[in-house]
Order: sequence, then structure tokens, then C-alpha cells
Amino acid sequence: MTFYKKISLLALAGLTLASCTKLDEKLGSTLERSQADSVIQVASLLKTAYDGLQLPYQDQSNLWALQEMPSDEAVAPTRGGDWDDNGQWRSLKTHTWTAEHPMIGSTFTNLLLLQYAATNVLNFRPSKQQAAEARFLRALSIFSVLDAFGQVPFREPGEDLRKAPKVLTATEAVAFVISELTAIMPDLPERSTSVRAYVATKDAARALLIKTHLNKGAFLNPAQPTFDAADMTQVITLADQIINSGRYSLANNYFDNLAYNNDAIGTENIFTQQNGPGFSTVRSGNAAFCHWAPTLHYHQTPGGWNGFATVSVFYDKFEATDTRRGGPYPSVTPVTGLNVGFLVGQQYDKNGTALKDRKGNLLAFTRELALQESGNDLEIKGIRVVKYPPDMVTDGGSNGNNASNDWVFFRLADVMLMKAEALLRTGNAAGALLIVNQLRLKRKASALAAITLDVLLDERGREMYWEGWRRQDLIRFNKYLQPWQLKPSDNPRNLLFPIPVSDLAVNPNLKQNPGY
Amino acid sequence: MTKTRLLKALLFCPLLFLATAVLAQTKSVSGKITDEKGEIIIGASVQVKGTTTGTVTDQNGVFKLNVPASATTLLVSFIGYTQQEVSIANTSEVKVVLQMENTTLTDVVVVGYGTARKKDLTGSVATLKAKDFNKGIANAPDQLIQGKVAGLMVVNTSGAPGAATTVRIRGVSSVRSGNQPLYVIDGVPLDGRVARPGISANGLGVTPDANPLNFVNAFDIASMDVLKDASATAIYGSRGSNGVIIITTKKGVEGPAKLDFNYSVGASTIMKKLKVLNAGEFRKVLDDYKFTSGDGGGDEDAMKAITRTGITQNFNLGISGGSENARYRASFGLMNQDGIVLKSGLKKYTGNLSGQFKFLESKKLGLDFNLMAAQTIEELAPVTNNAGYRGSLIGQALQWNPTVPLRNADGSLNQLSGNAAVNPLAMSEAWNDQANISYILGSISPYFKITDDLEYRFLFSINRQTGIRRTELKSYITLPEVEGLGQAYYGNSELTTKLFTHTLSYNKQISTAFNLGALVGYEYQDFVFKGVDLGALGFTTDALPYTSILQNALQTNTFISSYVNPQSELQSIFGRVTANLRDKYLLTATMRADGSNKFGKNNRYGYFPSFAAKWNISSEDFMKGGTFFQNLALRLGWGITGNQEFPAGAAQEQYMLAGAGGASQLNVANPDLKWEKSNQLNAGLDFTILDSRITGSVDYFHKKTTDLLFNYTAIVPGPASNLWINMPGDITNKGVEVALRGDIIRKKDLTWSLGVNATFISNELQNYTGPDVLTGAISGQGVSGATVQRFANGHPLNVFYVRKYEGLDKDGLAQYADNGNTMYYMGDPNPKQLLGFTTDLSYKKWYLAINFNGAFGQDIYNNTANTVLPVNNLSSRNIARSLIGNNENLANPITTSSRYLEKGDFVKLTNATISYSLGNIGKTFKNVNISLTGQNLFVITNYSGFDPEVNTDKSINGVNSFGIEYSPYPTARNIILGVSVSL
Repeated sequence: MTFYKKISLLALAGLTLASCTKLDEKLGSTLERSQADSVIQVASLLKTAYDGLQLPYQDQSNLWALQEMPSDEAVAPTRGGDWDDNGQWRSLKTHTWTAEHPMIGSTFTNLLLLQYAATNVLNFRPSKQQAAEARFLRALSIFSVLDAFGQVPFREPGEDLRKAPKVLTATEAVAFVISELTAIMPDLPERSTSVRAYVATKDAARALLIKTHLNKGAFLNPAQPTFDAADMTQVITLADQIINSGRYSLANNYFDNLAYNNDAIGTENIFTQQNGPGFSTVRSGNAAFCHWAPTLHYHQTPGGWNGFATVSVFYDKFEATDTRRGGPYPSVTPVTGLNVGFLVGQQYDKNGTALKDRKGNLLAFTRELALQESGNDLEIKGIRVVKYPPDMVTDGGSNGNNASNDWVFFRLADVMLMKAEALLRTGNAAGALLIVNQLRLKRKASALAAITLDVLLDERGREMYWEGWRRQDLIRFNKYLQPWQLKPSDNPRNLLFPIPVSDLAVNPNLKQNPGY
Repeated sequence: MTKTRLLKALLFCPLLFLATAVLAQTKSVSGKITDEKGEIIIGASVQVKGTTTGTVTDQNGVFKLNVPASATTLLVSFIGYTQQEVSIANTSEVKVVLQMENTTLTDVVVVGYGTARKKDLTGSVATLKAKDFNKGIANAPDQLIQGKVAGLMVVNTSGAPGAATTVRIRGVSSVRSGNQPLYVIDGVPLDGRVARPGISANGLGVTPDANPLNFVNAFDIASMDVLKDASATAIYGSRGSNGVIIITTKKGVEGPAKLDFNYSVGASTIMKKLKVLNAGEFRKVLDDYKFTSGDGGGDEDAMKAITRTGITQNFNLGISGGSENARYRASFGLMNQDGIVLKSGLKKYTGNLSGQFKFLESKKLGLDFNLMAAQTIEELAPVTNNAGYRGSLIGQALQWNPTVPLRNADGSLNQLSGNAAVNPLAMSEAWNDQANISYILGSISPYFKITDDLEYRFLFSINRQTGIRRTELKSYITLPEVEGLGQAYYGNSELTTKLFTHTLSYNKQISTAFNLGALVGYEYQDFVFKGVDLGALGFTTDALPYTSILQNALQTNTFISSYVNPQSELQSIFGRVTANLRDKYLLTATMRADGSNKFGKNNRYGYFPSFAAKWNISSEDFMKGGTFFQNLALRLGWGITGNQEFPAGAAQEQYMLAGAGGASQLNVANPDLKWEKSNQLNAGLDFTILDSRITGSVDYFHKKTTDLLFNYTAIVPGPASNLWINMPGDITNKGVEVALRGDIIRKKDLTWSLGVNATFISNELQNYTGPDVLTGAISGQGVSGATVQRFANGHPLNVFYVRKYEGLDKDGLAQYADNGNTMYYMGDPNPKQLLGFTTDLSYKKWYLAINFNGAFGQDIYNNTANTVLPVNNLSSRNIARSLIGNNENLANPITTSSRYLEKGDFVKLTNATISYSLGNIGKTFKNVNISLTGQNLFVITNYSGFDPEVNTDKSINGVNSFGIEYSPYPTARNIILGVSVSL
């Protein structure tokens, strides 16, 4: 063998060394489970779970849409070619949805993603408080799935994710939420100046417990809700713990609770999700801005998508003096000409010039509207609702997820009204009236002489409109199937949303709700 | 380890046995070599049969050679001519007339890890040589064979220079993106991805992909082989399912140094315009609808304003030559293509260096190397796949009100305030997007002839791409999320693959009647993909490019992310045995074992066998003496191939670290995950008849794909992450391919031939019980979340599933079956027939080639008409001209329906070339040729969009869409003048 050949062989052998492999897959920028256990900070998983609130709760086409659009206080009319969206919005309004409705499907999915993100924290040896916060988020997700769908797919921590999860019945889910919230109460922090509203606190858990006890009868039998005295007692006891804590007070300006700086000035807020650059921008789904953009006209400031509106019957429930009906707001109106609350009639820019729509009509929002608008005036139809004052301060806040308005889940006025309801349902109308009038006076509405369940439901509408609770309230007050403006008739099946077909197909433990 | 060492020992041992050459007495032989017409042949190879002794003919076609005294026969050969054996037993001077090869049967076809004579092929393989390629502008090699091969479909996903194509060999067999064939360049299987960073600009969407083959210069390609059936592709195992396209680059030819040069210049214009209203028509329509607003008083053609005549220049230089034992070729290419849309184009620089060397006295040791280097600079217009209602550039131009000037009287841009239409000219000016990719593909391949019959070969290759992309959208554009802020992106991607292949091949004429060939090999390949993406929003000045001053943006509005994909490795052992009995009965069997670390732990290795047989009926005694058939052969093949195009890491549980300290599960483990499997049967008939005037083949294929790769989101409650599974259900593609070529006139000065290829294909998803898989996301106003395609049992893949449109009622409102509450399966985007037609005519020094192609039976969903140009756009935006006079109500809601499903049948004149051969000019210039080529000259179709050959990517979560148009970059018509010359 010549030297030349030897060299060649050596060279070949050298090159081939790299070709020996056991085929173990090495990950690049992601972690294996074994690494994840030691590397991943529980805090970051908990943050992921908190982030998981945005898509299902804040986005305008998730749970919020399912709670508001089928109710008597919101509508997304089709305006010519706009907002047809294949009839999704109309079918919510007329209660004619099917099990293939995209928003129903995404709400189901996104709420359950939240459940998993919270459950996953429990897989990674969290501290007591971290575990308690995660279990709170899980309970909130279960509460909402139960409310909307009447049954809840559920996984224990560490389950094989290739297998279909079991499904909790309504009874099991209610019991689970109550026992969980009770169990974690000692481990949750108390609200303080350092523990902000966007942390799951004892008060957040109390508020959710109140909601659960109050709605228990409706969850178990939505067609004919009943109210156990024991549950009502729980509602009153827990509400008092919040109301009498001194940590919350009714805001002087109702809209402060929802403004861009509501973390600082929203004195009523018990549990929120923190929004703003670096928070809401990195999560999935739209954040607070999607609660003014869908309703505002293209030519308003900030420009919107010219969709959502309310109906005249609902608008007429307000007295003219009621501050909740809206008007100028300090951080918004001087720089935009835009009022907050309900927008009716001619709209102006900041210089007081009357705005026009894209067709040249004066931009004067009408009281009446049809579910399907087709005339030359289709852009100006319907009363608009600006519940969250647009964030005109933060850069990119007015038209994107930079908006700093924290999303409000629970606030004092809601707790007060729930206590009033529990009092009323247990025969203490006087106690209920006292609370309601206390609230009304703060809102510059006249005091009521007497109170009934119907009046209380209206008051909840005036106080809590467009905050994502109306469907639940209507069902609890047994009014949900009644005909109202733009919804001529109904069907008992609509008390629950259908289980999305794609989820039925992959989880045989789910059973389609009756009537679908 | 032990196993691998053993393997190495096995591979190297034979090298130790080396033969030594024997010296002997010599004699001298000389001669002249000409062609049939008496023209001398320069550079023809002359070799003593059975030895490596040889030479080439000189400038006068003459050779002189010292041969061993015992030598009796010379082998004389030249490319394009039949090899001849010449006896020198009794003479020292010979005259040889080489015959042109008039049949392709003896052509060498490149098959996996080797070559075969076409005659010996048992599988279904189509070969195209450089002379058969489509002429004109070709950014990437797939365009060279578009319409030329039965069973092959190449569809442009965008008309932009350098954009990716959708290539399908024998239909669609995968639910997910992995449907492209495997490309192999000179023995190196490519990764199939390209290192161009992706961006998804705020409010604008995702730009179409770049073609991963952009780095290959068409000038450097000698041939392309399309491997279609399993017996041909199974040697590529888990990557063979979608067919294989083998690209062989040009190599140096023995002889004096030769310089080839060509230059072309072309002009591109839009092939077919989309009909929207002009200013006059727009005013008329405003009147008809009794609008008082909307007339901007001007006369503007916005499409014209953003398009142009694009000039393309292409310059190529090749130098080649060498001696018998040291051949080389170097080439340089430069292409500068302007797109037909403003600020779009592709600059491409390529260099290629290859050499083939033989060493040792015995010439048994050889070394081949090949180095391809390229740089592409893509300038991208803001045309995206999924822009929202304000559209991307093309949508904005189409719907621009033709009565509103794009520029004010002072020359400034007329930007409309608020949420009104975006000025396309402003969009074009505000947008700067450049992707710069560098490519290196290097390979070195030493080999050693252990005996005359046994050869060992090693191949090492490295393929490296780095891409950088800089994108900005200036703050003055009236897109709400950008206006007053401005946004910028900077992305960087790297792709590296390494390959080691050892093969040992054996070929022995065991007896006069029996030839046996065998091949065994071991291969290892790894793939790494990584990148960094930066973005920022909110700049304080437009004076400088944002990508130069990223720090200028608000810190809260910047984002940074980086990723390194899991390294994937493929380790394989493969083998092939071929047997040839009397040239009548041929058998091929192949086997590949692929181990991939992407597969789940329980399925690390997959086995892919194939068998094929061929019966050369015309070689049978009973056919001898017949004159009708010059060739008749029957082929039958079966094999299993795989598709492993799922992301690395898909079988593992993975956690990702997200922004601002978040962490979440990315992927759910599935240790059972494996490749997708295709079981393919092929039966074919090859024939040559009528004095070799007509050659043809007919193939029937049946391909059933099972274990479909699919990513479900995990069953909720679960992570928002993928669970990769092998989905139950199967996809069947079956069909018939016909390829025919006929020489109608075969005279000395005049030849005329016709070629036709046709494919008849059907496709269906069967035995699937899971939930219907939705895809085909429709973009635009009023259709949020709408999809129009799905994968459903008993239907073709990507079947359209839409409302049934029943016309407009008396009020001009659309009527739908069941009020639009029910959706129907209503159309199929997959063509049922594909047709290619070519004709070549040569008369003296003139040559004309015309190439048509067509597809029939497919439906296209016109998302452009649906949401970019609906009647509701009035009075502020333009509408489709077809809406004039249909009395549609302005309030007719925009929704998806069969109204926008159109027949996509078409015939296109894709290529016509006329050239004139000046021959040699003086002593210096040889083979001077001038040509004029037209590409996409016209298309005959009823489809109303830019081009029925369209496939905007509307996939959802990696599930392919097909046959949807959404305001795409329009197809160009090119006229190219070229000249080529050799020195």
C-alpha cells in the first residue's frame, strides 16, 4: 500500500467519525421535561396561567361575546358588507347558533387552555401561595365553562395528554369550585397596597365564591333556578367581608374603575388583569382596546370598526342624571371630542366639528337599528357603548394592545348588588333596597322607593352593562328565554351553549347538551 | 458504536486489495472522427477497450494514440452520439463516423445513488436534459421542467421573482405541508427549507415564501430526473413519498479549455389584468347607485401606478475542460430581475466549481468535487397572503377609487385620513423589505475502484445558508397600528446540513446473458435551523432606515426572540440489487432502513422496500423480425416510501420560555410518532414504433398513504400546543400518465416533432373518522374566521365546503340554499387532468420550440373577488367590473359562498422560443446562437383572476390549502432576447 493510499484512507476514516450516532434528539431553544423541572421557574408558569386570562375573557369574540351578544344589552348588527362574519354575530343575537359556531368553539378551547395552564403550575412544585393562585385561576376557568356549557372537561396534574379527559357534571363542578376556593383561602394573600388587584387575593376568591353560591341553582337547573338559604347566607357573609374590609370604596367617577390608570384610581376593583405595553401585548387575543374599537366609527378618534351597539329599550332604562349613562371623561374627551358611556346623536371631533360617516352623512348615531342594516345610513345606526374609556395616554394605547386599562373581573358594586340580591331572595327587601339606593345615589340616580327582583335585574344592567355578566344574570333571574328587542323568540336549549363538534369528536366523555 | 465500527470495517476492507497495472509493448494508432454529415468532431473520446488508455480528438477531429500491442478494439464516443467499437486488430489508421443517437433508450438516467441506462429502468423516471428545459427566465430549477413531465404539477404561489412554487408529483398525499418532492443535487439530498427569515408585519400579514432552490443557476444544470414511482424513490426511504427530483450539474468535458458565455435581456409585463372599473365606469356606477359622494374628480389606474415593465438581465460564463483524468468546470452567473411590481425583484449571483480527477497509475482512485456558492438579494413588495381588509399592495391598488388621484397636485402622496383605503403608491414607498441569503453547497467525493466490478465511494457534503432580512414600514402610512409610529423588523436565519454517504457498488457481467448489479450504502445527515428576530414600533424620525436605528424605537415596543430548532439526524442503510437476463428480464429490488431522531422513541427505524420487474418484450425471439415495434417493454413495480416532514422535536415533550419570564409547554410527547407511509403500485408500458418515429409510455399508479402525520392541538384542557400523531385514515392518489413523442418530419434540413404528456388523476381521503380538518382561511372584511376547505372522509383533499349561492333576489340580495345555514361540498381544487404539449421545429439554422400546458377540472376560490372587490366597496373603493349592471344591493353582506368558486380550467402558452444558429464566426467564436423567447404569452381561461395557476398560501396551522387566490403578486409575461457563444 502506497503512502498516498494510506493518507486517503486516514482522511476517509477521519471524515466518517462524525457519522456515528445513537439518534438521540437534542433540543435547541426549548426544554425537555427533565430540564424543565429544574430550569423553569414556577413563577413563569404562573405568569403564563395569568396571561391565559386575556384571550377567553378580554377578547371581543370569546366569552365576552357569549355573555353580552345573546343578552338584551348588546348587538353587533351587520352593516352592509361589514360585520356579516358569516352570520356569527346575528346568530348570537337571535339565539340561533349551532355547535359549529366559531366563537363558541374558541371560547370553550380558550377557557380550557387556561384551566390547563393553571393545572400545569401544580406539576412543578409551587409554593403554597403559587399553588393557591393557580388553583384560583383554575376555579375561575371551571366556573366559566360550567356557566356557558353546563359540563367541564377536567384533568388532574400530570395526566397523559394523549388520553381524553374526564368530564365533570354541573353538580361535580359546583362542588369542586366551592371546595377549591375554600381550601385555598388561607394560602392566598390579602389585598394591600403592595398586593394589587391583578393578583389572586383572598377577596378575589371571596368574590368568585359569592358568584358560585349565587348562581349554584342556575348552574344545576338553568331552566328553573332555585336559591338555597344556605347559599344566600354564604353570599351575604362573604360580601360583608369585602364590603366591610375598608379596602374598597365606590368610585367618585364611575368610569375611573375602567380607565387607563384604573390600577391607581379604580377604587372598586377587586380582581383585574393587568394590561399595558409589555403585558397585554405579548399575550394572545385582544385586550382592553377591543372594548372601544368594535363600537366606534371609523372617523372617530380613536378610529374603530363601527360594529357593536345597544338597543333603545336598554338605553331608556337610565335616568338622564345617571352618571353611568356617560358623558365627557377627563383623559379622553378634551383630546378626542369623544364621550364615554352611551353615544347617541351627532358625534364631534376635539375641535367641536361635526363628524361625517364614510358616505358623507352626518355621524349622528340613531336610537334604532335593525339586525341587518342595508341603507345609506347603515354606518350611523345604533347607540354606541364605550364602557372602557380609551387610553389616549399610552403610546399605541388607543388602537392596540398597548392600552393600559386593566380588565376588571370583580368590583365592589357587583359584590354589593349580589349581597342585595341574596338579601332580597331571603326576604330582606329593605336591606336590599338600602344597598341599591346607596349605589344609585353615588351614581347620581334617584333613590328607589321599593325593590323587586325585576328592578334589581335592571339595576344590575345599569351598573354592570357590557362587563361580561349579562347572560348569567338573565338566566339566574329566569328572563333569558323571554323575547326582547331584535330577538323575537327562543328555545330552552339556548340556556346552555352547545359543545363544539370538534371537541365532541376528540373527547368521547363529552355529551352534547340537549336540543343540539 | 460497535455496529458502526463493524460497518466501517466492512466498507474499508476491500480497499486493501489493490491491483497493480501491468506494463507491456505498445503500437501507434491514429484516425479521424466525423459525424454523419461529414463534419469533424472535436473532443471525441477514444479509448482502448478494457483499459484506461485513451485520448481525445483535436481541433481537426484527429487523434493519435499509443496502445498496447495486444489491443484489438477502440471505443469511440462523444456526447449525443452512439458509442462505437472500432477494430484495430489489423490496422493502425481508422476513419470513424459516429451516429447521432436517435433514441433515448441508451441515455443514462440518474437514479438514486447511481445511474442506469434508460433501457434498464424498471421504475417510472422522467429525464430532461438541458436542451429540453423551458427557456427564458427561471429563478429556480423547478420552473425548467414545469409542464414537461407527466404526473408533475408545478404551481406558482406568487408571481414575485424568486417566490416558492407548489410542486406535486402524482398528487397530494399529505394533509400537512410536507408535499414537496425531495430534491437531490449531485447526490446531496436537500433540506427543503430556505433560510429566509419570515415576518408578519402589523396589519399586513405574511409575505409568500421564497423558493428554496433559488441558489441553483439554471445555466449549471445538465439534467433533471423526476423519480415518480416507489421502485425509483424507495431508495430514499422516509423522504421518498412525494417523489424525488434529481438535479445533475454540468461537468467539465475532456478536451481543450472551452468558454461558454450567454447573455439575455428580457422585459416583463403583467400577463393578465384583473378587471376593475376605470374612472368613467366608476362614475357611471356611482350614478346608477345614486351616490352623491365618491367621485374624486380624477382618473387613476392604481394597478398601472404600482406596476412597471421589469427588465431582467442574465449573464452566465462557464469555463470547462481538462484531460481524461482531470476535468474541471467553473461558472459564474449574474441575474438581475426586476419584478413587475414596483420595488420588487431578485438579484442572484452564483458561482460553481466542479472537478473530476483520477489518480494513481491505475487510475483507480478518483475524486469528484463540487462547490456551489450563491447570494440572492430579494426585494419584496408588500404583497401578503393574509392581509386584512385594508389589503396588501395588490388589494389596495385593485380597490383604489379610480377617480381619486394617487398624488396631489403638488406631487405629494394623496393619503386619505381615518380608516379609509390605503394609498398603494404610499404603501409601496413606505415599505422597504430586503432579504439577503448566502448559500454554500459543497461536496467532495473520493472513490476507489477496488476491482473492475467493485467501486467504493464516499461523499461528504455541507450545505449552509444564512439569511438576513430587513423590513420597514414608514410612519406616514395610514395603517392604524403603524401610522405615526413606523415599524421595523430584522431577522436572521441559519440552515446547516451535513451529509456523509458511503456506497459500495458492484456490477458484473456474470455471463453473456446475465448481468448483476448491487449497491449497499450507509448515510448520515443532520439538519440545524436557527434564527433571531428583532422588531420595533415607534420611531422618532423617517430620515434614516429604521433597521439602521432600531434603538430609536420605544423600548416597550421592541421585541426580541431567537430560536434553535432541535437538531435532526437521519441515519440510514440502503441497498439495491439489479439483475438483467438477456436484456429481456430485468429485476430491481431496493431496501432502505431510515433511522431518524425525529421519530418517537418506539419507532426510531423505518424500513422501506421496493421491487420492480421489467420485461423487454421487443427483445424476445418472437418479436424479432417484426418492424412495427422498435421497443416494447412492460414494467411493474411496488414499494413503500415515507414522508417525515414534521418538525424536529415533534415526538418529545417540550417547554418553551416565552417573553417577559413566561414559560409554557410547547409540545406533547408522542413516543409512537413515526413517518407517514405510502404504498405505491406502478404498472407501465414503454414503446417505440414506426421506425422509431413515435416513442411513448403509459403508466398507471395507485398510491395509498397511511399513518397521516397531523398535529392536533392537545385535547382540552391541555396546553395550547401540538400533539403530533399518525392520524387514522388514508389518502389514495391514483391515475394514468401518458407521455408521447413523435417525429413527424425527419429530414436533413427539416425536423418537426411533437410531444404530449397527460395526467389523469384522482384523490380521496378514506377511512377517516376524526373531526373534519378545516383549512383555506379566507381573508378580508366581514369574513373573520371563515374557512372554505376541509379534509373530510370520502372527499378529495382540500374539498371546498361552502354555502350554496343561488343568485341575487329582486332586491339584489344574495340567496343561499337553506338561507346559508348549511354548507355543501361543492368543488375540488385538484386538477383532474394535466396536459403538457410541446413542439419543436428546426429548419436549417432556425429552431422553434413551443410549449403549452394546461390543467382541467379544478375549481379556484376567488378570495380577491369575495372580499377585495365586492359591491359594498362603493362609493369609496373600487369593485370588480363583472358586478356592473347586476343590480346587487349595496348592503348585500360579504360572506363566503360558491359564488366565488370558479372553474380553473386553462391552457397557457408558457414558452415559445425561436432561435437562429449562426454557427462558428471566424476561428474564435463557436456555436453562436441568438434566441427570442416568450414566457406566459397568453392564457385561455374563464377564470377572472390574474392567473388560474395560482395558490395563495391560506393554510391554517400547517394544514395545506390549495387553489385559493387572494390578491396575489400577478404573473408576468416575459420577452427575452438571448445570445450564446463559445470560445
